Amino acid sequence: MQLDFSAVFPYWLVLLKGLALTIAFTGSCAVIGSLAGFVLSLLRMSPSRWMKAATTLYVEFFRGTPLLIQLFWVFFCFPVVFHLPLPPYVSVVISLTLYMAAITSETFRGTLKSISAEQHDACIALSLSPQAKILYVIFPQALLRAIPPLLSNVVSLFKESALISSVGVADLMFVGQNISNSTAKPVEFLTTVAIIYFLVAFPLTRLVGVVEMRLLRRYAY
Amino acid sequence: MNYQFDFRFLEGSFGALLDGLRVTIELAVASNLMGLVLGFALCLLAMSRWTIVRWPAQLFIEFFRCTPALLQIVWFFYCVPMMVDVFIDPILMGVLALGLNLTAFNAEAYRAGVQAVPKEHLDACVALGLKPWQRTMYVVLPQALRTAMPVLMTNGIGSLQQSALVAIVAVADLMYVGKSLATEAYRPLETYTVVALIYFALSLPIAKLVHVIERRQDLAVKR
Amino acid sequence: MLSSQTMIAQHDVPPAVVDFSPSTSGEFVQFSDVYKSYGENLVVMDHMNLDMREDDRLVIIGPSGSGKSSLLRVMMGLEGIQGGQIGFQGKPYIFGADAGRAKRIDAKLQKQIGMVFQHYTLFPHLSVLGNLILAPVKVGGLSKAEATERARLYLARLGLESKLHAYPSQLSGGQKQRVAIARALMLEPKLMLFDEVTSALDPEMVIEVQNVMLRLAEQKMAMIIVTHDMHFARDIATRVVFCASGKIVEQGAPADMFKCPKQARTREFLEKVLHLD
Repeated sequence: MQLDFSAVFPYWLVLLKGLALTIAFTGSCAVIGSLAGFVLSLLRMSPSRWMKAATTLYVEFFRGTPLLIQLFWVFFCFPVVFHLPLPPYVSVVISLTLYMAAITSETFRGTLKSISAEQHDACIALSLSPQAKILYVIFPQALLRAIPPLLSNVVSLFKESALISSVGVADLMFVGQNISNSTAKPVEFLTTVAIIYFLVAFPLTRLVGVVEMRLLRRYAY
Repeated sequence: MNYQFDFRFLEGSFGALLDGLRVTIELAVASNLMGLVLGFALCLLAMSRWTIVRWPAQLFIEFFRCTPALLQIVWFFYCVPMMVDVFIDPILMGVLALGLNLTAFNAEAYRAGVQAVPKEHLDACVALGLKPWQRTMYVVLPQALRTAMPVLMTNGIGSLQQSALVAIVAVADLMYVGKSLATEAYRPLETYTVVALIYFALSLPIAKLVHVIERRQDLAVKR
Repeated sequence: MLSSQTMIAQHDVPPAVVDFSPSTSGEFVQFSDVYKSYGENLVVMDHMNLDMREDDRLVIIGPSGSGKSSLLRVMMGLEGIQGGQIGFQGKPYIFGADAGRAKRIDAKLQKQIGMVFQHYTLFPHLSVLGNLILAPVKVGGLSKAEATERARLYLARLGLESKLHAYPSQLSGGQKQRVAIARALMLEPKLMLFDEVTSALDPEMVIEVQNVMLRLAEQKMAMIIVTHDMHFARDIATRVVFCASGKIVEQGAPADMFKCPKQARTREFLEKVLHLD
């Protein structure tokens, strides 16, 4: 079998544009999704049983169903349900954000649980009101501890974003597949696309480890 | 919302959905078995003392963990037939692609489990005169597996969700059947909702089981 | 409230409570018939009666699970009691669940008690200064400047002034505990509780923390201390209280308790622990 990787070079700009779109979607959905996930984890701690059940159901649902079907549902069904035509990129943003919110709310919940019970005791011993305790002691620590797993979540989102190609959004995956089909050189192009994804995701995962060591060791034991 | 829900049309396609579900479950179970067994083997390779074994293993793990699953599946389906002039059953290819992906993630889970065993236990083994293989068999492995189990199960649920990706390469799993039905009958809402609920119903019990196991482990650690 | 038993004769003394100090009654802290259990099987405080005076320094000793830590935790208001009542400074402070009151603890009195824990529990995301001034500013109504001044003063007394802006992760175990003590003292409590504060420290650092506590003792701070260190108990206590199975088996002046314990149970425990003597 003949492999000709030089065929990739003329297309580098197109591939780069695809990558840019992937990063744009990943970045914006990561930010909005994390904020939403934070709010969601707060809501999940509310005393109202209805609220707790509703948010838990949301999180379990988005974690327990394939992202692909979530994408398809938003893409195909939202316009029908809301009588609004939805451009593909909007439905993609909505879907990825909803997914990211579910994932990050679990992350925040995990970090809140990881704060030792003795911290809560110390706050009572200092006569701090519950509000002061949450605002000045629990939350700052939870947010600090959440940074490494959040970064992991972002890397996951970056990989999952490849699915948006299935609804026609011209991200890196879509572009790569298109070109490989038209040039009938799947091995060269798909491998190149894989390498591009790898070159972005791998350093980020290493960064997570570094952040974890530096940040947590100093400020969160 | 003026949409008229009409689930009745699905009744006729019940058989098709069931076939798709069967394929999905086949994919999930087979890839999980592969992932659990090979993942363990890969973990051993990745932790081996010989660099020549360790580096390729670690590269494999990192590559499968840092690239999209969809890309891996598409690569498999388009490139392997080109490279190997043999016809491989699409479902088998799906199992391989999903299985290799799961292998990499499980290898990480096993590794984390092994590294979580406190060094004191290893020291105690030396003090008790246990040989290295005895130490691994009787002390490290049981504890590593116990730690790794929730993660392995969560990865398993993840592979169930990822199996839906094979629909993109036209393997007739539940997702593919759902998509065909939705487009044929112009009824995406009912079809996709039902398909989503089926996936949810499959993964929820396992997720709950993971919760229970984790809680029990937390209590055990406290003691 | 009658809670201490005076000695009549050796044989008449009920085995549960024996005291030898001049007076074990006091109104500063009064435990009356306090009952606490976890579930049905684990009774950690079995109708306990205990008194304390304002100038007392109680050291609680006893085997694990005997209710020592529970005593402190209950006193701090971290956990509740099922039965009985606790008085503080002559006023009712904590009520048992069986009293059926909606408010089981007097929060104003709770504010006058400080506690230091075994595992540092300094807030890791705040500097030493941040740790010290958080409560005085948020709860004590001090201005940030006033609190900072007080913090500087306390740290100077401890010899830790240079660590004002350091983070807990940069301190040694002994330094962390001393900061934890200072943090509790910032609120100027009337009673200090110490829950095995030196148990997790390296031996070299135990001394520096104990010296701080001894200095507090010189300043007549009322304390209840749980510790395994019998030598330290002898140095600091005005009264040693031996607890076992949720009951106070024996209490008395340190010299008496350690030299000639009257109860067999006490003797058994001390023999195991005081083998150096």
